[in-house]
Amino acid sequence: MLEVKNVTKKFGRKRVLDGVSFTANKGEITCLIGINGVGKTTIMKAILGLTPINGGEILIDGEKLTKSTYEKLTFIPDALAMLPNLTIMQAMDFMADFYDSWNQDRADELLQFFKLNEEDRISTLSKGNTAKVNLLLGLAQDADYVLMDEPFSGIDIFSREQIANVFTSHLIEDRGVIITTHEINDIEHLIDKVVVLNNGSVYKEFNAEDMRINEGKSVVDVLREVYIP
Amino acid sequence: MSFLINNREPVYLQVVRYFKEQIATGELTAGQEIPSRRELASLLKINPNTAQKAYKEMEEHGLIYTERNFPSRITTDKKVLNGVREELIQEAVNAFIQAIKPIQVPVDELVDIVKKNYQTEKK
Repeated sequence: MLEVKNVTKKFGRKRVLDGVSFTANKGEITCLIGINGVGKTTIMKAILGLTPINGGEILIDGEKLTKSTYEKLTFIPDALAMLPNLTIMQAMDFMADFYDSWNQDRADELLQFFKLNEEDRISTLSKGNTAKVNLLLGLAQDADYVLMDEPFSGIDIFSREQIANVFTSHLIEDRGVIITTHEINDIEHLIDKVVVLNNGSVYKEFNAEDMRINEGKSVVDVLREVYIP
Repeated sequence: MSFLINNREPVYLQVVRYFKEQIATGELTAGQEIPSRRELASLLKINPNTAQKAYKEMEEHGLIYTERNFPSRITTDKKVLNGVREELIQEAVNAFIQAIKPIQVPVDELVDIVKKNYQTEKK
């Protein structure tokens, strides 16, 4: 389990995160959701230790972030960070050299899954295919927790569909997925848990199916309560 | 695959109904193998844990059964299978009756309209 406990983060005088707490389980898809500027990406960065926090703690399977716990995480940023003149194959080789957790079998499977051609140069890819390569490079690592920052932003509907299909496939297996998005429509039925952020704190944390069972509300219904009072 | 998701209704119940409809129409038959929870999730584009929940529900009601390490199958219990069709019909008719009640249409007139429209619908 990944636990975010009472995390506070200040940029200058501004509290971007003000006592944020939630958990994300293995074998579940947890969605951090909120309108732009509520601190979703900052939380991701805090979990990865990429930005220091001012209070609280973050535990991965009960332990603080160290080199060994760090290897349990893989981060997929909102845009592909790879030299554009590399081919997909070269990019995969680069990742294989860089990460012990690289799993080439899974990478090959992802290539097929996304119907990508490994000879293609990254600079020649469409936005949708660039997003898929980005996902491939992250998902091919053997890590227990996958953090995805806005995997659906700015790409066409069919690429979004293909990416959403990853969530139901065995490529995710029993990993814990944490995803940030502000476009919930595509994945409303794919996620387990929703963490709604507002003004730097957690407004509500709930299981999407339980919300439908107990209150007859969709995820969008709950969001509407938060953002359109 | 016709599986329309209502955003406010529990997805697992929609999955169960989807299976019941297929049983009632004979698309799924006694003893037939059904997809794994992951296959079902990717077929219907739903969360794998929800697919699991739907299977658990169907197992508890005896609609499907699983022998250790084998794929799940539709029950061979004729009583259960026939009951599914009966249940769906009753549910739909009761919903219809609830909807038409406030308009107070004589039942004979209603039957005629249903017959006529049902024929047109079928074509």
